[in-house]
Amino acid sequence: MSVEFTTGIPLSWFLLVSATLFTIGVIGILVKRNAIVILMSIELMLNAANINFVAFSAYYDLPMGQVFAMFSIGLAAAEAAVGLAILLNLNRLKDTVHVDDLNIMRW
Amino acid sequence: MVDTESLVAVLPELLLVMFAIVIPAIGLGTKDSRILGFTALAGIALAAVGPALQILEDRNAVFFPSDTGLLVLDQFSALFMLIFLSVAFYVVLASIYFTKDDKHQPEYYTLILLATAGMMVVASATDLFVLFVGIELTSLSSYALVAFRKKDVKGAEAATKYFIIGGLSSGFALFGISLIFGVTGTTDFTLMNEWLIANPYPNDLVPVVWLAMIMIVVGFGFKIAMVPFHMWAPDVYEGAPTTITAMLAAGSKKMGFVALFKLFFIGLIAIKADWEFLIAIMAILTMTVGNLMALNQTNIKRMLAYSSIAQAGYILIAIPVATDYALAGGIFQILTHAFMKGGAFIVVATLATVAVGESINSYKGLGKRSPFLALAMTIFLFSLAGIPPLAGFASKFFLFWAPIQAATDTGADWLIWLSVAGIINSAISLFYYVRIVKYMYVEKGESEDKLVISKTMMAAVAICLILTVVIGIYPGPFYDACWNAAQALLSYSVPLP
Repeated sequence: MSVEFTTGIPLSWFLLVSATLFTIGVIGILVKRNAIVILMSIELMLNAANINFVAFSAYYDLPMGQVFAMFSIGLAAAEAAVGLAILLNLNRLKDTVHVDDLNIMRW
Repeated sequence: MVDTESLVAVLPELLLVMFAIVIPAIGLGTKDSRILGFTALAGIALAAVGPALQILEDRNAVFFPSDTGLLVLDQFSALFMLIFLSVAFYVVLASIYFTKDDKHQPEYYTLILLATAGMMVVASATDLFVLFVGIELTSLSSYALVAFRKKDVKGAEAATKYFIIGGLSSGFALFGISLIFGVTGTTDFTLMNEWLIANPYPNDLVPVVWLAMIMIVVGFGFKIAMVPFHMWAPDVYEGAPTTITAMLAAGSKKMGFVALFKLFFIGLIAIKADWEFLIAIMAILTMTVGNLMALNQTNIKRMLAYSSIAQAGYILIAIPVATDYALAGGIFQILTHAFMKGGAFIVVATLATVAVGESINSYKGLGKRSPFLALAMTIFLFSLAGIPPLAGFASKFFLFWAPIQAATDTGADWLIWLSVAGIINSAISLFYYVRIVKYMYVEKGESEDKLVISKTMMAAVAICLILTVVIGIYPGPFYDACWNAAQALLSYSVPLP
């Protein structure tokens, strides 16, 4: 499997894509104020790691990488479920999912 | 493959998960929090049998023997399992009364058991990815627990902040793990270290390991509220139901330390020279910022949260020193902190059930209103400050002595500054701890009524109180257990060539 891949797209391209995705995710969390968009940015970060796992797994013939990717997809799904439930409850109580409105507790 | 022998290593976690599934089923028939709570307590007690036997008999069990196993039950993981289980025990005991009027009781106990199971997976993991899955199990359960009181605006806000910060930190940690996996071809701590020994620095890939290390430290640093990643902790500790705050401070934060211990003492010990200064500076920053911020807090939960950050700074001392004495001292500090900080939060929770608020002004005159709780709080606070003969003194003594000992052994004199910073910080911390004690005993409160307190909550406080005093007066056997745990962890790290 590794031979087939090495003649095609080089590994560094995959890493470049995942690094870009990760950076977009981090910037999204820092810049965006809507909690749903922040949740999406978190998913981007986790998926960037998944791309890494799968790419390394294909290039270096490490089957564990794909197992890790599947586990982390499951974790990301669970995280989204819990996160959306929390945001839904927040929206019901405060009628907003804007993180700037989370200001009851300061310092 | 999986035989009964190796099943022993995961039996404690399995038992907890089994009880976590059974409790909602019982919840279909009854809404009585006592039945649900005592079922959870039974599960916790059963799960503690395995680790307790391991501590006494010392025969290691390995689950799923690949090269080095995925989960092991040795002295290190057994000790931490017992710490996490005892935290879960007194938290559940206190919750029986604390949450008696809330909806969704069964889910509450299920989530506590699952969070504890996650911490135990972290304690026994020998693989970075398995460890990450354990951390996620705990984190996801605790996000939901923080938002447990659905009508509570503070809780909802705290849960949102906790979730966003937790997600960010998971993203960093997972990306770091994926880089480590790509570079070394493994996520097993021991094999990771072997790769680093076989490929020393001029190798082009080592800088990638540094990058991965920094990402994982950021990720786990959020979990233990290490400065500058501590901003979430006071908000979440304040907003969460107080019993859950006790679990976060005494349990899930300690889980982050277990993860860091495994990463640095086994996985990355070969490149110690690259990270010791970084962690040392973080340790000093964490304790100083935590203590200074705690000085003028007016909400007791917030003050205890900042004090918890400061305590995290003390425990971090163990990592840059990296001797077996330091590791044993760090583990001992974790052990004592689990009881004194958890106990303090349980006292706050108990007082909340009798309408004493979270503002420190409402603690005025408490010595007359409830002598037992005031005495317990005083002992916990003095123990946190490190006053002999309490547990906090014993553990701080061992922890602060380790850098000095390491400095005389290896000649790395800068390590002494870690002890100096720790001792100065302990002196600062006394200031805000004593203020609470003064409020309770010297100042006059608005009300003089006696407080009537539930027996189960009193029992939870008493457990922490007895352990705090006993460990302080008679630290020998407890320190021995920590010492054996440290040796068990270090036996995985390959000696440097």
